Amino acid sequence: MSANPSLLAPAALTTEEVDLRRLDRDIYGPMEAFPTYRWWAAILLTGGLAGIFVVCLAVTVLRGIGTWGNNVPVGWGWAIVNFVFWVGIGHAGTLISAILFLFRQRWRTGIARFAEAMTIFAVICAMQFPLIHTGRPWLAMFWLIPYPNDMGVYQNFRSPLEWDVFAVSTYGLVSLMFWYTGLIPDLATARDRAGHWFRKFVYGILSLGWRGSNRAWSHYEKAYLLFAGLSTPLVLSVHSIVSFDFAVSVIPGWHTTIFPPYFVAGAIFSGFAMVATLIIIMRKMFRLQHLITDNHLELMNKIIIATSMMVGYSYAMEFFTAWYSGVAYERYVFLNRALGPYAWAYWTMAICNVLVPQLLWFKKIRRTALLMYPIVILVNVGMWFERFVIVVTSLHRDFLPTSWDYFRPSLIDIGLFVGSWGIFLTLLLLFCRFLPTIAATEVKVVVAESHGSHGGQHG
Amino acid sequence: MSQQPPKGYHSLETMQRLQRSALPTRDEDLSAPDAVTRRDVLKLMMGASTALALGTTGCARKPEREIISRATGPEYQKPGKALYYSSTYTDGPVPYGVMIKTVDGRPVKIEGNPDHPVNQGASDAAMQAWVLSLYDPDRLREPTEGTAPTTWEAADDRILAALPQASNVVLMTRANLGPSERALVKRFTEVCSGARHFVHEAVHDTPRRSAWNRLYGADGEWLPRFDLARVIVSLDSDFLATDGAALENIRLFTRGRKLDDAHHGEADISRLYVAESAMSLTGSNADERICLKPSAMGAFARALLDAVRGRSEAIAEFARVHRVDEKTLTALTKDLRENSQRSVVVAGPHLPQQVHAAVALLNDELQAPGHTLVWNPVRAALPVSDPAEVESVFERGVDVAVFLGVNPVYDWPGGGFAALLQKAALSVGHGLYRDETLAACTLALPSHHGLESWNDAVARAGVESICQPVIAPLFNSRQEAESLLAWTRALAPDSDPIRTCSDWHDYVRARWQGESTSEGEAGDRLTRRRTWQDCLRRGGRFEELTAASPPRLSHDAAQALTPSPMEAGDYELVILPDPALWDGRFAGNGWLQELPDPVSKVVWDSGAIVSPHTAEGLGLVEGDMVVVEVGGRSVELPLLMQPGAVDGVISAYLGYGRMEGGVIVEQAQGANLAPLLGRENPSHPRLALKAALRRGSGHRKLVRTQKQFSMHDRPIVLDGTLQEYRHDAGFVEHKRHLPEPVQMYDPWDYSKGYKWAIAVDLGACVGCNACVAACQAENNIPIVGRDQVDRGREMHWIRIDRYHAGDADNPTVHHQPMLCQHCDNAPCESVCPVNATSHSPEGLNEMTYNRCVGTRYCSNNCPHKVRRFNFLRYQDAQLRDPVQELVFNPQVTVRGVGVMEKCTFCVQRINEGKFKARNRDQQVADGAIQTACQQACPAQAIAFGNVNDPDSAVAKMNASKRTFFVLEELNVKPNVAYLARVRNPIPQRPGHDPSDGSRHG
Repeated sequence: MSANPSLLAPAALTTEEVDLRRLDRDIYGPMEAFPTYRWWAAILLTGGLAGIFVVCLAVTVLRGIGTWGNNVPVGWGWAIVNFVFWVGIGHAGTLISAILFLFRQRWRTGIARFAEAMTIFAVICAMQFPLIHTGRPWLAMFWLIPYPNDMGVYQNFRSPLEWDVFAVSTYGLVSLMFWYTGLIPDLATARDRAGHWFRKFVYGILSLGWRGSNRAWSHYEKAYLLFAGLSTPLVLSVHSIVSFDFAVSVIPGWHTTIFPPYFVAGAIFSGFAMVATLIIIMRKMFRLQHLITDNHLELMNKIIIATSMMVGYSYAMEFFTAWYSGVAYERYVFLNRALGPYAWAYWTMAICNVLVPQLLWFKKIRRTALLMYPIVILVNVGMWFERFVIVVTSLHRDFLPTSWDYFRPSLIDIGLFVGSWGIFLTLLLLFCRFLPTIAATEVKVVVAESHGSHGGQHG
Repeated sequence: MSQQPPKGYHSLETMQRLQRSALPTRDEDLSAPDAVTRRDVLKLMMGASTALALGTTGCARKPEREIISRATGPEYQKPGKALYYSSTYTDGPVPYGVMIKTVDGRPVKIEGNPDHPVNQGASDAAMQAWVLSLYDPDRLREPTEGTAPTTWEAADDRILAALPQASNVVLMTRANLGPSERALVKRFTEVCSGARHFVHEAVHDTPRRSAWNRLYGADGEWLPRFDLARVIVSLDSDFLATDGAALENIRLFTRGRKLDDAHHGEADISRLYVAESAMSLTGSNADERICLKPSAMGAFARALLDAVRGRSEAIAEFARVHRVDEKTLTALTKDLRENSQRSVVVAGPHLPQQVHAAVALLNDELQAPGHTLVWNPVRAALPVSDPAEVESVFERGVDVAVFLGVNPVYDWPGGGFAALLQKAALSVGHGLYRDETLAACTLALPSHHGLESWNDAVARAGVESICQPVIAPLFNSRQEAESLLAWTRALAPDSDPIRTCSDWHDYVRARWQGESTSEGEAGDRLTRRRTWQDCLRRGGRFEELTAASPPRLSHDAAQALTPSPMEAGDYELVILPDPALWDGRFAGNGWLQELPDPVSKVVWDSGAIVSPHTAEGLGLVEGDMVVVEVGGRSVELPLLMQPGAVDGVISAYLGYGRMEGGVIVEQAQGANLAPLLGRENPSHPRLALKAALRRGSGHRKLVRTQKQFSMHDRPIVLDGTLQEYRHDAGFVEHKRHLPEPVQMYDPWDYSKGYKWAIAVDLGACVGCNACVAACQAENNIPIVGRDQVDRGREMHWIRIDRYHAGDADNPTVHHQPMLCQHCDNAPCESVCPVNATSHSPEGLNEMTYNRCVGTRYCSNNCPHKVRRFNFLRYQDAQLRDPVQELVFNPQVTVRGVGVMEKCTFCVQRINEGKFKARNRDQQVADGAIQTACQQACPAQAIAFGNVNDPDSAVAKMNASKRTFFVLEELNVKPNVAYLARVRNPIPQRPGHDPSDGSRHG
C-alpha cells in the first residue's frame, strides 16, 4: 500500500488551477441547484428497484423462506452471498478514510467522502440480509440482541452469527459517526451558503453549530484522528468475523484458517472496485474530473491489482491446503468447485477476480477511465461470485452424498438482490443531492492556493 | 345420534356414562413391563366399556355398544393421557394386528399389536398412515345420488326397491374379507336371488395360487420360514416388501441372520440369492443377486431342479444360454445340495404357473415342505374372480351392481370398466372416497373408516382378529357390511334369524361368541361375554399354526405344468404393486405419496423402470416420456433408470394415475398401469412377455429425495463378509476412521443418570420405510408436496439412505437409516446464536422451537444433514381444518413457519417414561421407552435406551465389535451407533486368508 511519494505530489491531486471559490461552486453547486432531469430519471429508476426489494421482502416475510431457492443442504443462499458482498463493498470507505488517513495518503481527500458514504449505504444494504434470511425475522431482530429479559435464556456467544451482530453493527455505527464528523465543517459551509431560510435551518441543525473556531478545529481534528484509529481495526475485524461465519463451521470448504485475511483482502478488493465504478460516473456527472483525477484512479487501480493477487493467492492456497490436508471431504469440495456442477460460477469468479485485473499492469489502462471501467465492473461481478462459490458450492455437497442437492435461486432471490441495489443507489443519489460529495474543507488544504498556510496538518 | 354434527372425540358425558357401565378396572398401563411381564399386564388389563353410537341405518337410535380398552379404564382416563385399543388393520393385503393409541377420544397413532402372531408388534408404512386417512377431509361425507346429496333412507329405499325384482345382481368386494363378512356375503347371495359375488383385486397371486391348487389339491399357501433356511432363493419374489406377509418375512429373514460376537467363529447366517428382473427391496438385500428376465425364470427353476437332482451340466448350460455368471449358479447349486431341509425357494406371484410348478418340485427335492415351508390351509384372501367372467356378466346386462370397497373403474385389468358399468341399471358404489368408481355409480355411499368399524379378519389358520371402532363416525357414513346387512335383513324372509340381528356389531359378536360356545360346556352367557371381551382386549384369537400334515405334491400335476419355454419379445413388462400405494387404494394418503420409494427414492410419481443400458439404447435419459405398449394398449410415463434392472425388462408400479378422490390424488403424478394388466396374458396378468417400449413426447422430472447413490469412497456404511467376520468379529475396526481425541474443554460427565442412545443394526435393516412413516405419524411431520421435495425440502426426520457399490450393472446396495445423531459434540449447537438447540444432560440434542429464529446455521453445520426447516407454512392449512387437525399427536408441538426441526429421539415418550418410573420411584427399565421408529421396525434393527445401563439392549449393541459411528472422524461423538452389516456372499477363493477382504474401505 505504500506508494511512491512522487506520485502523490500535491499538484497531481487536482488537474486544473482551482481557486477556492470555484471549488466551493463545484462541490456545493449541485446541492443548491434544482435537480436535473437526469437525476430525476435516475432516482425514479433506483427507487423502483428499491420498491422491488420491499415487495420481495413482503412476500418473504408473509410466506416464508421457501419463496427463495434455499433447501437442505443449501441452508444459506443468495441472502448470505449478498450480505457478504455488501459488507465487502463497505470496506473501501473506512479503509480510505481511516487507514489511508493514518498513513497520510493525501490523495484520499478527493474520494474519501464518497467512499465513506458508499460504505454506510453498503452496510445498510448488508444489514438487511442477515435479518430477513432468518425464518422468523420478527423475533430475530430482538433475540440476537442481548437485552435484559425474563425468558431465562441468553444469546449464545459461541455462535459466529452473534459475533456478526456486534461486528457489523459496531462497524456500521463507527463508520456513520466517522463520516458525520467529517461532514460537519462542510455542512457548516452549506449552511453559510444557503439562501433559503429552511435550507439554512436544516443545515444549521446538521452542522451542530459549527463556527470554524480554532478550538473547534482542534477538537475536530483530534476526534477525526481518534475515529480513524478506532475504525482501523474494525476494517480488519469486520470481515474477519464475517469470515468466521464460515471458518468456524465443520463444513469442508468453509472450515479453513485462511478465511480472515482472505476475506479482508477480498473486501478491500471489491470495495475499491465499487468506489471506482461509482466515482467514475459521479465525477463525470458532476464534472469533477479536476478534483477526482486520473491519478486517483491509478492509485485505486494499484490497490485493486494488489488485492486481486492476494485473493488469487488465496484461491490457489485453498487448493493446496485441501490437497495437503489429505482429507477426502476437503479435497472433494475443491475439485467439485472447479469441476462440479457449479464450475461455471467458480471460473466466472477466477477469471473476473484474478485474470481480468492483470490488465491493470498497463499504465494506459490504469489511467483511462473508459478502459478500466469494464475491469472494475467485472471485479464486482467476480467478487459476488466468490461469495456465491464459497456459500453454495461448499454446502451443496458436503459429507453424506445422499443429502447432496443443487441450489437454484428463485425470482424472489433475484428481486431482493436487484432491490438492494435499488436501495444502495437511491441512497447514493440522495447523498449526491443533499450532501457535499467531496470533502471540501479537506480538498481546500491540498489545492495549490492554500499551500503554505496550514496544509499538511491534517492530511 | 348420527344426525348430530360429527364429533371427533368423546364428550365428558360419554365418559361419565362409561364409568357407570364399566366393568371392574384396575390401574395399569401397557408401557411398563419392568415390574411385570407383558403377559401379566395383559391379564391385568381391565375391561371397560365405552359407548359408541354407530351410524344408523334408519331413524331409530342405535343401542350403545361397547369397545374394550386395552390399557386403562375410562375412570382413570385423564385428559391428554393415551388409551390403547387393540384392533386389526384390514386395508392392506394381509390383516395385521394393531394397537390404536387414542388421546381424548381420538385415534392418533397406530402401533403393531405385539400379541398378533403375524406382525408381532411391527408395522408397515401403510399401517402407520392408516390414521391419516381417517381424518382425510376428502372422504365422502354423505350419500350422494349422481352429484346431489341424498339420505341413507332414500338410498336404501332405492336399492331395496330394485333388488327384489332384479334377476342379475353383482356384488363386488375386495379379496381379504373377514370371516363375518364372508358369512354375510354368503347370506346375501342366498336371500337375493340372482346375486353373484365377485372378488376383485388388481394385485393378487392367482398364478401361484392356482398352480398350488393344482399341485397340492388344496387351496392354501406355503409360508416360508426364512429364519430356518440357510439358503434362500427368490425368483422375482419381493418377499420383504410386497409378496406375502412382509412384516413377518422381514422378521424371520433377519432372525436367520442374527450374529453373536461371542461365537463369531461359528457364525452361520442365511445366504439370500435373488434372481430378479428389477431392483426390488428384496434384491437390494441379496447376498448374491442374479439379473434374470422373467421369461427365463421357468428355465432357471428347471435347471436348478436338474442340477440339484445331479445333472450339473444343466445349470452350466443355463448360465451359458442366459449369460449369467456360471460360478454363482454352480455355487448356488452346491449350496442347495448341501442344505437339504434347510433351504427354501420362493417365486414371485406374478410369474406363470409353470414356474411355480418347477419351484414346487425343487422345494420338494430340497425337502423344504415341513421344514422351511409351512402349509397354511386358511388364506386371508378369497380367490379373485376371472375378469373375463365378470365382463361377460356385465355384457349380458346387470340390474343392480354393488361395489363394496373396490375401485374397478380405476384398476380393472385391461381397463374399460367404466363402459361396462353403464350396462348396470342401478350401480351402487360404497367407499371411503368419491373415487373413480363411486363417481361413475348412480349411488355413492360413504363407508366408515377402519378405525370407525367393527369387523374381523383371518390372517391364516388359527389367527383371527377383531377390528373395533375407536371413534364415533366423523361423517354421515355407514360401514359397508352394515349396509349389506341392512339389505340382507330387508330381503330375508321373516323366519330368517338374520331378521333379529340389529346391527353389524351384533352380527360380528354373535359369530365370535357362537364359535366359542361350540367348545362344550363353557357356553353360558357370562363366559361367552368374557371370551368376547378377552378377544377384544388381545385383539383376537391367536393359535400357533400347527404343521398338520401338509398336502403332498402331485408330481403328475407338476409335470403337466412344466411344458414349453416361455416366448418373449424384445421387452418384457412386470407390473408391480407400489410399495407404498399398493394398487392405488392409498393414493389419497399424503404420507404414503411422499414416502420415498425404498429403492429409487421417487416420491409422488412413478416411472417405467429400465436399466441404464436399455435407456441408452433408446437414446433416452431419465424423465423422458416413454410409451409402454402391450397388446395394442399403451401407457405413457417417464423413464426411470435403475442400476440393477435387467436389460430389456420394464417394470412399473400400479397405484398411480388416479383421476378422482381428492386433493392428494390430484397432486400426484404418474400413469395408471391397469389397462396393461392381463391383456395378452390372462393367466399371469402382471407379467407381459411381449411388450413394446418407444419414445413418447415430452419430459417429466422424477422427483427423488436422494440424488446421489454413490458413497464416493467415504467410510459411511461399513460392511464385511461372513468370512471376514468369522475370522475377526472386529473386522470393522480396520475400516473405521477414528478421530484424534482433541478436546479443548473437559467433556461433560454423562456417567450419572440416563444417557440416551440409539443403535441401528445395519445387518437387520432391510430398508422397508416403516420407521419413516412411524416417525411421521408420531411427530406431526408435514408433507410438503412434489414441488417442495423437488426443491430439496422434504421434512422426514428419519430417512433411509441408499448407496450403490460395486458392479454398476448389478450393484451391491446398502440401506442406512439416517436420523439426528444427537452428537455429544454437536456442531449445530455451538453455532445457534439464540441457544435454540442445546444439549441435555442426558445426551439429547434438544430443539427449542419457540426460541428458534430460523438462521439455518445449525442445518448448514450438521454433517449428517438431518435437520429439517419449515421453509413455508406447511402445517397451517391442516391446523385450520377442523377434521385434519385431529390427526396431530397432542404430545408433540406442531411447528410453524421459519422453525428448524429434527429427530428428538421421541423426547415426549422419554419424558412420559421417566415420569412413570419416577412415580414408582424406579429407574426407567430397558425397553420401557420405545421410539416410534424402533417400535415400528419389523426387523428390530433399532434399539433405544440408556447406555449407562450395561444390560440395556442399546449398551449391548454399542459394545458389539461391529459398531461404528457415521462421520466419527469429525469427533462430533454421535449417539447413534451403527452395527456393520455382515453379508454372506459366495466365499471368494476358498481357503484363502479371509482377512484379505478387510483391506478395502
